[in-house]
Amino acid sequence: MSAPVLRISDVRKDFGPVTALAGVSLDVHEGETVVVIGPSGSGKSTLVRCAHQLESIDGGAMYLDGELLGHRRSPGGLRALTERRIAAQRRRMSMVFQQFNLFPQFTVLRNVTDAAIRVHRRDRSTVEAEARELLERIGLAGREDHYPRQLSGGQQQRVAIARAVLVRPRVMLFDEPTSALDPELVDEVLAVLRDLAAAGTTMVVVTHEMAFAREAADRCVFMEAGRIVEEGPPGELFARPGTDRLRAFLSRHLSEKEGVS
Amino acid sequence: MTAMSTVEETATAPDDVASARGRFRPLRWLFVLVLAVLLAQLIVFLVGNDRFQWDVVAKYLFEKSVLAGLGTTVLLAVAAMALGSLAGGVVAAMQLSGFGPARWVATLWVGLFRGIPPLVQLIFWFNLAYLLPKLSLGIPFGPVFGTWDANSVITPLTAAVIGLSLVESAYLAEIFRAGVSSVDAGQRDAARAMGYPPGQTLVRIVLPQAMRVIIPPAGSQFINVLKGTALVSVIAMSDLLHAVQVIYNRTYEIVPMLLVACFWYLVVVTLLTAGQRRLERRFSRGHRGAR
Repeated sequence: MSAPVLRISDVRKDFGPVTALAGVSLDVHEGETVVVIGPSGSGKSTLVRCAHQLESIDGGAMYLDGELLGHRRSPGGLRALTERRIAAQRRRMSMVFQQFNLFPQFTVLRNVTDAAIRVHRRDRSTVEAEARELLERIGLAGREDHYPRQLSGGQQQRVAIARAVLVRPRVMLFDEPTSALDPELVDEVLAVLRDLAAAGTTMVVVTHEMAFAREAADRCVFMEAGRIVEEGPPGELFARPGTDRLRAFLSRHLSEKEGVS
Repeated sequence: MTAMSTVEETATAPDDVASARGRFRPLRWLFVLVLAVLLAQLIVFLVGNDRFQWDVVAKYLFEKSVLAGLGTTVLLAVAAMALGSLAGGVVAAMQLSGFGPARWVATLWVGLFRGIPPLVQLIFWFNLAYLLPKLSLGIPFGPVFGTWDANSVITPLTAAVIGLSLVESAYLAEIFRAGVSSVDAGQRDAARAMGYPPGQTLVRIVLPQAMRVIIPPAGSQFINVLKGTALVSVIAMSDLLHAVQVIYNRTYEIVPMLLVACFWYLVVVTLLTAGQRRLERRFSRGHRGAR
């Protein structure tokens, strides 16, 4: 197999006395969709936030296309990078948040295009044309001049996804993208995620949507208490969980969902 | 039975609140009445009392020295606001920094310049020459590039600008800090996640949202410093108040001259308030009228 796009190697993270990540290793390969599941507090969100360097890590290392993230090697050992250099590394990845975090002072079009134009310094008219096409494809044609607060949660999250796509990331990280949505709005967002996965986007999705994990994931990772407990293709993992903890988790979550559908 | 049929016959049209009259509100009528009486009294007082000497007010309203004083007042307020904003921005950044010593210095700064009455600070700066007869510029404990006599550097103008700017910087630092803190942490996360470098995160994403919270108190603060410039008359700075004082010390027309000053203060404050409203509207983009 080729070298991974994103390599997370024995990453540890503490919040004061609480250990959020107790040595997590995960390789994400080109075109792969990795879905991270697990009970709340298991460190799933912390993992993607650390991977995008929104939180500093306390141990281990991370690599994007083989390049060490957040530090550089110097004769005296590793040295932390400046925030500017870290920002440059973040530009090769992108992230979608649970709370959307669209910029309220910008219109939809500006939200989607601003980083590509101002930070990536790409040509405005090209970026805007690309953005309009993308917005149309995800069912938001005609919303370009609206402000985020004029949109529903599902629409806002789709705008946030468009924003993250337009910077052409090597890998996209999703931190519980549907958890803040009303139940009837979840599917419209998951549909966009499915399309991205099908189009070969390299992505890591933290979610509680087990049906989505089953259908869209190339690989499913089960975390608990800051560790990866089990991982594998979702079909196998769901059918034959290797640990009692995953079995218990699945019985709680699959039964609810299956009951509804 | 007969009673019911009577009701049906008389109430031919169905009830419709569209044609209803408003609620009877006697207290509102009373309020308007009292207001009208008070207004009439005020007009009689203003017009009928010749001690107001409206002719004197009119005579001095556009007097050259008064307008010059007004100019000084506005200039001082603008200078204090500009320098205070710069220093206040730095102090706010230090307060928000993760670096302890920077936070302590900023806290001390705010405590000092907000804690001492502005009038005391002005007199203190005006008398700086007593403490430091010579002011020099150079490398600490190293060569000196130039030395000036403090008495010639600290004029009423420099003392006023320094004193008012320092007071402003302390208040504005608190206003800026509160404004930046009010922006949702997710906004900074999102900006960083999209690869904005630190400067752009602040300027493009955080500050425009903080402005909504910053502008109302900063506007009040501008009005405060404008009125606060009246304090500089004690160090013989010829501001608006000092200009009218010079005249009434000669003519003893104290009340009409104070009315002249009041008029100009109100004119400038009203203009500032209008400017503040415009700015507020400008920065509320995307926040008004949901759905």
